[in-house]
Amino acid sequence: MDIIKKALGFRGDVDAQASTNRSSQNLSTFYYLRHKKEAIVGMTIITVFVVWSVIEGSLQLIGDYLRKPSLGWVLLPHDPIASPNIATSLLPPSLSYPLGTNFEGQDILSRLMYAAPKDAMAAFLVVVSAVIVGGLLGIAAGYYGGWIDEILMRLTDAFLAIPGLILAIALSILIGPGFNSVLISLTIIWWPVYARLFRGQTLTLKYRGFVEISRLFGVSEFKVLFKHIFMNAVDPIIAYMALDFGTVILTYSTLAFLGIGVQPPYPEWGSMASNGLSFFPRAWWYTFFPSLTILLVVIGFILFGDSFQDVISGRVVD
Amino acid sequence: MKRMQSNFIFFLIRRIINALVTLVLLVLLVFVLIHVILPTPQAMAKVYIGSQHYTTAELNSVIERYGLNEPLYVQFFKYVIDVFTGNFGLDSLYKVPEMQLLDKFIPITLEFVLIAIALQVVIGVFAGGFAAMYRGQVPDWIIKVLYLVAWAAPVFLLATLMQFAFAYDLKVLPALNMANPVLVPPKPITGYPLIDAAIEGDWTYFDSLLTHMVLPVLAIAIAGFGLTTRIMRSSAVEVFDKDYVKLAYMKGLSNGKVLFGTVFRNALIPIVTLTAIQFGFAVSGAVVIEDVFLYKGMGFFLYQSVTSMDYVAIIATTIIVGISVIIANFAADLLYAVVDPRGKLE
Repeated sequence: MDIIKKALGFRGDVDAQASTNRSSQNLSTFYYLRHKKEAIVGMTIITVFVVWSVIEGSLQLIGDYLRKPSLGWVLLPHDPIASPNIATSLLPPSLSYPLGTNFEGQDILSRLMYAAPKDAMAAFLVVVSAVIVGGLLGIAAGYYGGWIDEILMRLTDAFLAIPGLILAIALSILIGPGFNSVLISLTIIWWPVYARLFRGQTLTLKYRGFVEISRLFGVSEFKVLFKHIFMNAVDPIIAYMALDFGTVILTYSTLAFLGIGVQPPYPEWGSMASNGLSFFPRAWWYTFFPSLTILLVVIGFILFGDSFQDVISGRVVD
Repeated sequence: MKRMQSNFIFFLIRRIINALVTLVLLVLLVFVLIHVILPTPQAMAKVYIGSQHYTTAELNSVIERYGLNEPLYVQFFKYVIDVFTGNFGLDSLYKVPEMQLLDKFIPITLEFVLIAIALQVVIGVFAGGFAAMYRGQVPDWIIKVLYLVAWAAPVFLLATLMQFAFAYDLKVLPALNMANPVLVPPKPITGYPLIDAAIEGDWTYFDSLLTHMVLPVLAIAIAGFGLTTRIMRSSAVEVFDKDYVKLAYMKGLSNGKVLFGTVFRNALIPIVTLTAIQFGFAVSGAVVIEDVFLYKGMGFFLYQSVTSMDYVAIIATTIIVGISVIIANFAADLLYAVVDPRGKLE
């Protein structure tokens, strides 16, 4: 009886709308974002990065599949993994080499463009898998409470205690160097923040009217958890995800800087920047452009995530 | 009042139990990861030997010595005891107990990371406070651009640019090492170089330590102040809208007095929790920064262990960092309860 009263009492218009009017809510979010300068800059950078990564990535995949790797650089001005050539070593930026060449005489622009899909893929896979694992565990902990909550949260704390970069170093050394081991170790360590976020959201949602009413009307538990809790919890998490794509790219390139990750001769932004450092400042372009690329992409994600967070938390006034 | 005290003691005990459980889970986590990646006793033994050249007899003796054939729960139990007694095994490179090496390296890193975090909080709090005061105006934008760039820049880029600018180009600060290698270091009493030098009264060494510390500390502080600024700004913006701030203005207090007297005290609360989280970031930043500046602390040691594939050292360092982060979080929880009178003592 108590629950019914509470549920009927809670059945205000706000709650009903919160759960049903999602499409119009999303529209207004994007309407506001379109009118924020920072958001536009961020979205432009992200769009260029993602579109290019998809095109170049699929070309590389097809090239691998047909055993014709040269297909991976048909769109690039030069062969990114050409064999070392003294004649073109460390050339400054010019018309034929817009961003200069590295010590091995390879074109830096081509190498940057060739490496983009790997960064995009790492960011996407790591963050999405973290959302899935963190979402499942966090919602379970928040919704069921009690011992489940206690155990899951202590586990989350244990994972959170080890800084991502250090655990990734330890894991990828144990698994063995290479792109895949970095992906695996980042995936293993990335979920705890999402578990925390989802748990917090679930705790605020689970006593809301629409959740109690759905339970009262015998809606299946899975549907309650997914449709009412997950879908309503996800907005602030999307904003955090946008920031997090940038963080993954930063961590990934820092690992590459330490020599863990994609192995030569294949290019990677972080390792390009780190190799270039020994020629700085004489051949400044060698380390400058890879670092600038990382900086720009990460800023793009931060700007977008930041404005998205402003919009959904209602701080859009100024 | 008495009720408050008993509440606080209950809260303290609960937090201590939480921290201990988290510690054991942390060790379990590392243990499970190691055993998933290295499932057989032979694979584990190879790691303990730490070189590619070994005979079957050697392998077996290592398996025997470390009890790698025993059931997993026995191994885990022993592992927990080992970790809590500080026994991480022999370093496969230096052939001395791991703890001896860590004893030497941890204080060095802890010293400069703590100074860096203090600096970062000061910069972040002031920048965030000013940005909130001039919300939507030019100073707000300048601060935003600065912290966005600092946040998005890879740590290694910041560190090397600073090294080139201040050490190689302007030649105002030393580029490498912890102290001038010509000087004789003081006897290690506490292990913390600055404190040791001060105890011995060796002020030339103290001075050298300080000047060598400037660039690494700045690099960590700049890499980390973005998040503090952002949180401080939004928390201060909220405080600025509160009635008591309006009252302070109405009383005729100047901008500065309102900012330092009223806003800071109230906006600082979220920064306490944030700073504990950032301790972890700063330690991982230290891995890169110590490598760039050849600052021979724990991060440099970890980087060396990576290049020489010294697994024992890597795992020991990982656990130690985890433990220190748990302690930092525990301290933040306590501080939070003390600073924020509204904070619920669960």
